[in-house]
Amino acid sequence: MSDYIKLDSEKISEGVKTITELGGHGILKCVQCGACSAVCPGVKAGFPVLCRLLIKKVLDGQLEEMIEESSSWGCQACNRCTEVCPQGVRPQEVVFAFRRYQANELAFSTSAITSQMNLHSYGHAVFSDARELRKKVGLAPEAPTSAYNEKAQKEIQTLLENSPMGELGLY
Amino acid sequence: MEKLGLYLGCNIPFKAPDIEQSFRKTFPVLGIEVEDLEGATCCPAWGTAPSFDLDTWCAISSRNIILAEDKNIDLMTGCNSCFGIMSEAKHFIEDDPARKKRVNENLKAIDREFKGTSNIYHISHVLYEKVGPEKIKESLVYSLDGLKAAIQPGCHILWPSDVYHVKEKNSFFPTILKELTQALGAEVPHYSRLEFCCGMGGMRSTDVEKSLKLFTDKLMSMKEEIDPDMIVTTCSSCFLQFDMSQQILKERGMIDFTIPVFYYTQVLALAQGFDPAQVAAISQTPRDAVISEIQSEKRKINKG
Ligand code: SF4
Ligand code: SF4
Repeated sequence: MSDYIKLDSEKISEGVKTITELGGHGILKCVQCGACSAVCPGVKAGFPVLCRLLIKKVLDGQLEEMIEESSSWGCQACNRCTEVCPQGVRPQEVVFAFRRYQANELAFSTSAITSQMNLHSYGHAVFSDARELRKKVGLAPEAPTSAYNEKAQKEIQTLLENSPMGELGLY
Repeated sequence: MEKLGLYLGCNIPFKAPDIEQSFRKTFPVLGIEVEDLEGATCCPAWGTAPSFDLDTWCAISSRNIILAEDKNIDLMTGCNSCFGIMSEAKHFIEDDPARKKRVNENLKAIDREFKGTSNIYHISHVLYEKVGPEKIKESLVYSLDGLKAAIQPGCHILWPSDVYHVKEKNSFFPTILKELTQALGAEVPHYSRLEFCCGMGGMRSTDVEKSLKLFTDKLMSMKEEIDPDMIVTTCSSCFLQFDMSQQILKERGMIDFTIPVFYYTQVLALAQGFDPAQVAAISQTPRDAVISEIQSEKRKINKG
């Protein structure tokens, strides 16, 4: 029986503090009932460390050990968990706080890079030159969004560059 | 005529502009004037700012809401994710005076200020609450009588219900899209996985096989339980998932059928008699046959 988790009170408070500061305020209210995991599409699809189990691991002081865990990126942000939690934990906020912890340590999948770059350049996470397609359906070729609006692009670049995201070297 | 700001998001203007065209055609017929929010950006999508920094998420979302505030109008979005993300951001800002102050500090750099005077609606809420099924019925040229639709409301207009100001009576048994689709004359039977997730979103970009597994469960539930003529959704992300992923399952030999998929306002526009080459022109899953069926002579409504 060497494979046990040694509870370390310092690591527990450190983990709870990190998650709380990043937006997971309700984490300490969790009673591990599992109602959230029962309705979670992420868990159903096979990403196990969401909702109840993610919270349990943080409460056991395992935050650092989970840094490469990909389950959080499978979260749909659907908030079914938030709706059913009898304790008001708002588990989705905990999952996203955990994601922020990972992202700020640059522990996210490379597939996330393109959308960050697109957001910075065009103001759109998803962007493709759709001018021909738009004309085909009778619309103005250039959508009235930031994609074709330099002032708007400058604005979003300012917001991103002045934020903690600007310090990660993504742009 | 009530005026509303049309927030387009990313999927609709760049991947499915025929959905955008269906908004521009159908709303004026129903007495809603659609005004563009020039320079709007991404909501921002869950995988971007919301995954990095809560205040940055709120600043970017609030900038989009400010575009509507500046025009003194409410905002409506056709994408569930945009609706969820911007509604939650608004809630995070208004719930925490310190955050509101920080966000407004950040917005100063671009000479903007968030006040919180504009509400956020999803297009389905506008159609249901401001227009209403009766008025929709009156606007029709063709009836969908005898056609069967499987509806897909999508997640982000349902939960978390406490931050949305327009909501279902029971978010695990949604009826808004059902009533809107019935207003077209279609039959909308219940199927057991109606409120299930389709697997689009973060799940699809993280692990496409897991996403397809959820999608297959949902699709088979529709097919086996109600065998619909079409799938109708009010989420642009769900639309793309149903449209693209049926093709993948078909190519893999996992299904021997496909079901045409429409965004709600596309079927509405077709039933109002608009040109399919403008309002329902782009899809991977074939839908020409059902489009011709909808706009067939025998379905013309006799207005006496
Ligand atoms: S928000 Fe994420 S963790 Fe919560 S139920 Fe949805 S997929 Fe699961
Ligand atoms: S539903 Fe709430 S209390 Fe129950 S395990 Fe999930 S987060 Fe904890």
